[in-house]
Amino acid sequence: MTCTATLRRSSLLLTFALTLAPAAQAQSATTVRLGFFPNLTHAPALIGLERGTFQKALGNAKLDARQFVSGTTLNEAFAAGQIDIAYIGPGPAISAATRGMPVQFLAGTAEAGAVLVARKDSGIKPYKDMAGKVVAVPSLGNTQDISLRHILKDNSLRDRKDGGNVTIVPIPPADIVAAFAGKRADAALVPEPWGAALEAQGHKVVGTEKTVWREGKYPTTILIVNTKFAQANPALVTAFLKAHNEAVAFLTKSPAAAQTAVNAQLAKLTGEKLDSRVLQRAFSRTRFTTALDLEALKEYAALNVEAGYARSVPDLTPFLRK
Amino acid sequence: MTTLPQQPDMTRPARSTPSRWRVLSWQLVGLLLLVGIWWLVTDLLKLYPPYVFPSPRAVWTEIQYGLWGSGPQDGKLLAAIAGSLRRVLTGYVAAVLLGGVVGLLMGAWLPLRATLGAYLTGLQSVPSIAFVPFAILFLGLNERAVLFVVILEGFIPVALAVSGALLNVPPTLRVAGRTLGASGLALMLRVLLPAALPNVLTGLRTAWSFAWRALVGGELLIAGAKSLGEQLEVGRNTANVALVLATILIIGLIGGLFDALLRVLEGNVRRNYGLESHT
Repeated sequence: MTCTATLRRSSLLLTFALTLAPAAQAQSATTVRLGFFPNLTHAPALIGLERGTFQKALGNAKLDARQFVSGTTLNEAFAAGQIDIAYIGPGPAISAATRGMPVQFLAGTAEAGAVLVARKDSGIKPYKDMAGKVVAVPSLGNTQDISLRHILKDNSLRDRKDGGNVTIVPIPPADIVAAFAGKRADAALVPEPWGAALEAQGHKVVGTEKTVWREGKYPTTILIVNTKFAQANPALVTAFLKAHNEAVAFLTKSPAAAQTAVNAQLAKLTGEKLDSRVLQRAFSRTRFTTALDLEALKEYAALNVEAGYARSVPDLTPFLRK
Repeated sequence: MTTLPQQPDMTRPARSTPSRWRVLSWQLVGLLLLVGIWWLVTDLLKLYPPYVFPSPRAVWTEIQYGLWGSGPQDGKLLAAIAGSLRRVLTGYVAAVLLGGVVGLLMGAWLPLRATLGAYLTGLQSVPSIAFVPFAILFLGLNERAVLFVVILEGFIPVALAVSGALLNVPPTLRVAGRTLGASGLALMLRVLLPAALPNVLTGLRTAWSFAWRALVGGELLIAGAKSLGEQLEVGRNTANVALVLATILIIGLIGGLFDALLRVLEGNVRRNYGLESHT
């Protein structure tokens, strides 16, 4: 997706936000609007769509699944009341909670599944080599951006804007291949399957999912719901959650069949099928779970402050669904 | 859109200008009214949730932190202003120099005027944001791409204003200059350019607003350096609408301030040239 298209979409969303936001939605829903990304870290969404798990669980209510390219646009749609349930990274989810959006954290989805890839001719091996280089993240303030800033800090490096010499640029993961080819970025911290796809092109993984943060014990994707929607439609939320749990169980119990299903859904969404070895590798670096690691989320919130995207660590417990 | 060089309308009697203080006090009233309505809609009536349309107080808090906050991550807006100003001034100066030279050549030579002049008028109708993807591919995802767009946007109105102003110099002045022995470069520098100055200044003011708008648009898409565009993007990415609004206010304020400064300069020149009455 091009920059201008993103801009156009966001301005449209803003218009929607201004016109629709005041209207409250109290009556029970006939449609469940789901937001997700076509990433492996959102695999439960892909499985639920491919196998029809969601629609079956929702019964008469219609599932309206919409794909997004970044947490930013998803958050905007969420704020505008256009999305009821969403698979989203902890970064945008915490931002949403901090700004008082009506959001509840429903369940865990994926852990780890993000790697730091260096362009093959960039010469970056240890993290310290990122000094003086351009490192891409999906968008500023997103989950990977926050992780990257933490890695930089651990390695006595800093963002150029804060007086250091590492340039952090936002590039959508799908455009990283082109950015590497054009030498517009030297490294990128990306969620799977983009990491494995870049690796397949000969670029080097210099930070595995385990060395990025907390030995890999951190959420990359969680499931959130609009509080108002949850209050008005408790049965639908419970049903969706059940389907989500089924999808995660399928992912962990039958990885081979799950990979086939994920690839089929990705092909429908993006028009491209991933090489099965790429998908397998991406899978091996991602863990699927329904558990919400509140401790890790708190640490994320603290990193958010450390990165300068928030001024205080919010208490996240009120946002958990009881 | 070009602001055409305006000729004073001699048929209408000069209107008496209201005093500066009267204008200023009305402006203050207008500002208070605007903030009042804003406060009414957000804080009092709560028509919009704060994550869609924040209150004036929330925006003021962002401005405070961003401009003179003392926390480790505060003062980002101030740094952004400094970065954006440095960038736009570099681009603007380059655009004025380039536009001046191109405008002189176009004013002096018909073939150039007929070709380049026409193309530039067409080019001017292309929004600056449309050039950004090309600039990124051509120059990379960096400041040079932003500068490219700023210079491109800034130089066109200058070039068109300079060539237009040269053509609008009353023929009598040209004849008088020739009669007094000026020709070639001397005629250009001592007669034609001074005569064209008021209209050139209007072009410079248009160029400023074009350059400033192009800058913010470019910065929005090319992050990686301290800039107001990046603050907009960060505000958007972290669902911080108050920061977005604070940045918009600052962008408008700086743009307006420079425009006012150039307007004063333009007015002074026009008065000295007898194109406007002294107040």
